[in-house]
Amino acid sequence: MEKENKILEAIKVAFNVEGHIAREKRVMITANKDIVSSILLFCKNQQGYIHLNHMSVVDRIEDGKFELNYIIWSPTEKVTIMLKTFIDRENAEMENIDSIWDQANTYEREMREMYGIQFPGLIGRQDFALEDWDEMPPMRRDFDTHAYAEKTFYQRPGREDAKDVREELTKQSGEVIPDFAKKYSRE
Amino acid sequence: MTSNNKDKQTIVEYIQNWSRKHSLFVMAYGTGCGAIEIPATMTSRYDAERFGIRGAATPRQADVLLITGYLATKTLKRVIRVYEQMQDPKYVIGFGSCTINGGMYYDSYNTINALDRYIPVDVYINGCMPRPEAVISGFVQLQKQIAEGTANNAAKYKENLEWYRANQKKIIKNWRMPDYNW
Repeated sequence: MEKENKILEAIKVAFNVEGHIAREKRVMITANKDIVSSILLFCKNQQGYIHLNHMSVVDRIEDGKFELNYIIWSPTEKVTIMLKTFIDRENAEMENIDSIWDQANTYEREMREMYGIQFPGLIGRQDFALEDWDEMPPMRRDFDTHAYAEKTFYQRPGREDAKDVREELTKQSGEVIPDFAKKYSRE
Repeated sequence: MTSNNKDKQTIVEYIQNWSRKHSLFVMAYGTGCGAIEIPATMTSRYDAERFGIRGAATPRQADVLLITGYLATKTLKRVIRVYEQMQDPKYVIGFGSCTINGGMYYDSYNTINALDRYIPVDVYINGCMPRPEAVISGFVQLQKQIAEGTANNAAKYKENLEWYRANQKKIIKNWRMPDYNW
């Protein structure tokens, strides 16, 4: 765990952030959104974490937050850093990091389209995968995809008698469907 | 009704239909996951070419448009363009549950649920996925319809163009499509 401790301590000393080692070769860090790009630059330029593996969003609708994850990797140390930050769900805005890694542009455009997160200064077409989309960004959890499909597409009769697989299974196993998931049940 | 229709055919129509049904050129255009069944249908084990079914590279040379599986709203635009570029006679086969009623994507925000609202469908093949036997069986159904002279959905499309256009424009909001004169 030497390499992991080394990078974790270096980031902790430089930025005063929280973090822990999840397991071998994996360091988790949670940081404020203002210093995310500084941490990424620090890791890239001074610690050799030159590879951006992935950027992703989790919709934490219960907390009113979006969780953004930046996963970076060092080909020399063979250690992955997962940098996590939370931004407000209302008027979501995050710093654009495509000047650090060019490929971040693609991820950011997808986040902008699917979750409505704005990245000031992001250059690229507004459309990413969808065409002429004028509703709420579809991957947000408060977007009701079933209601939208019923409103937009023709529903052929005959689906009504189809049983909800999950409810049939819970009848057999005695498991209880949690409240937040009941919305998606048929009854 | 079918036998009556067959009797009404003139000898020229009979020969026309006979030759049409034995050379179905399928547009090489896979829209969803179902396209993976086409290589299996075409290659040596099931060998669809013994029914005269083979691939065509461009819409203008194709007779059959296979809609293989789920159809995204974005793809629907391209499918309509491909269908309208095809020359008569042309037939559409809806392939898999997704084209019939949405299948497992019935509540998805970007896949259509019933294909025959947007383009006329001659034969539906159900299944998720339909195996190559089912695909060939669907083609044989289409061949029967062609032989009987009842596979004339392309003419219906021209007659009911307003209805189809209204449905299509409900999905494709920003309509920037060329008009093809068939």
